[in-house]
Amino acid sequence: MSEVQLETLFDEYATRYLRGERPDVREYLQRAGAEREEFCRLVDRFLEAVPAREPTEEDVVIMQARIEQQPPILVLRLRRALSREAVVAALVDRLRLDPAKSGKVAGYYHALEVGNLDPEPVSRRVWDVLAELLSANVRWLAGLRPEGPAAAVAYRREPTLMQAKLDRAAPVGAATEVAEPDEIDMLFTGSA
Amino acid sequence: MHDARDAEDQRKLEAGEYVALLESYYGVMLDRSRVKVRREDDAVAVAAEVAIRLLSELKRGRRYRVPFRVVVHQVIKWKAKEHFARGKIDEVDLEDWLRKASTESTDELEGDRGFEGLIDGLTELEQEVLRLRYVEDLDFQEIAKRLAKEPNAVHQIHHRALTKLRKEAA
Repeated sequence: MSEVQLETLFDEYATRYLRGERPDVREYLQRAGAEREEFCRLVDRFLEAVPAREPTEEDVVIMQARIEQQPPILVLRLRRALSREAVVAALVDRLRLDPAKSGKVAGYYHALEVGNLDPEPVSRRVWDVLAELLSANVRWLAGLRPEGPAAAVAYRREPTLMQAKLDRAAPVGAATEVAEPDEIDMLFTGSA
Repeated sequence: MHDARDAEDQRKLEAGEYVALLESYYGVMLDRSRVKVRREDDAVAVAAEVAIRLLSELKRGRRYRVPFRVVVHQVIKWKAKEHFARGKIDEVDLEDWLRKASTESTDELEGDRGFEGLIDGLTELEQEVLRLRYVEDLDFQEIAKRLAKEPNAVHQIHHRALTKLRKEAA
């Protein structure tokens, strides 16, 4: 990438930002390629100088999850005021699974939500349903690890509520109690 | 450029809406951490450290004589530095800075300038081109008209300004 291309890239980012759009800096970092460091310097000074844009909901979920040391998908679901049962019911319905196997889906979903299931082999069909239901890039959020720095106690706005919801969740590892591999296993682990 | 935002920040500070105030900076905390730190996980960790530190400051009753955004940006810088140092070696300096920010006026601290004013070495014309482009959102043709210059000349001035900015930031 030439100097001119780098400046054009920065100019595009900066003007979009100032027009109230929310250009994703990660996408621009990728586009900068080998000039990433130079691009970073420009953007860093730019962001320091201009009024901060409003955060996206994804920003808030990522930060809240990190600060409260909770899995991002769980934080997102609670922000949407959706019960785990509602998410599982939607998965069963939209993936046209056997309702009698809701328990198994619930086990997998719980493992996915709390970060105990590798998101890599999970079927795109599952991510599509979750993305639509939770209105976010759930696949990307699932890739973020829940562990974080020592949380500030004062930051926990509703610790009791959050804990109560966690306590009601299915035990980790429920998915592993399944005896026979089937379509549900295929959807969540990529293998039957 | 910052007046409306500063006023809203001040209102939230006075109302004790600390979490809402900090949430409004989550985007910039994440984006600046992303350009300072390579890995996404690390960037999120740095941004979270910034938020936790600031909340703890606010809850302890710290008030600043500089706009809150200046404090946010300074803490982002220190926390990113701390990340690379893998320790708390700069904590004392950060404390000093925060103490200064709560007792001294804006002029005595870095960071309260517009994009066009970030570099001392920019000529007035270079500053004006950056201001017209990134504050007034004019395209290069419009800037050329406004400054009675050829568009090519404006491009060159813009290029010189960004080159200086990159060098200064390096």
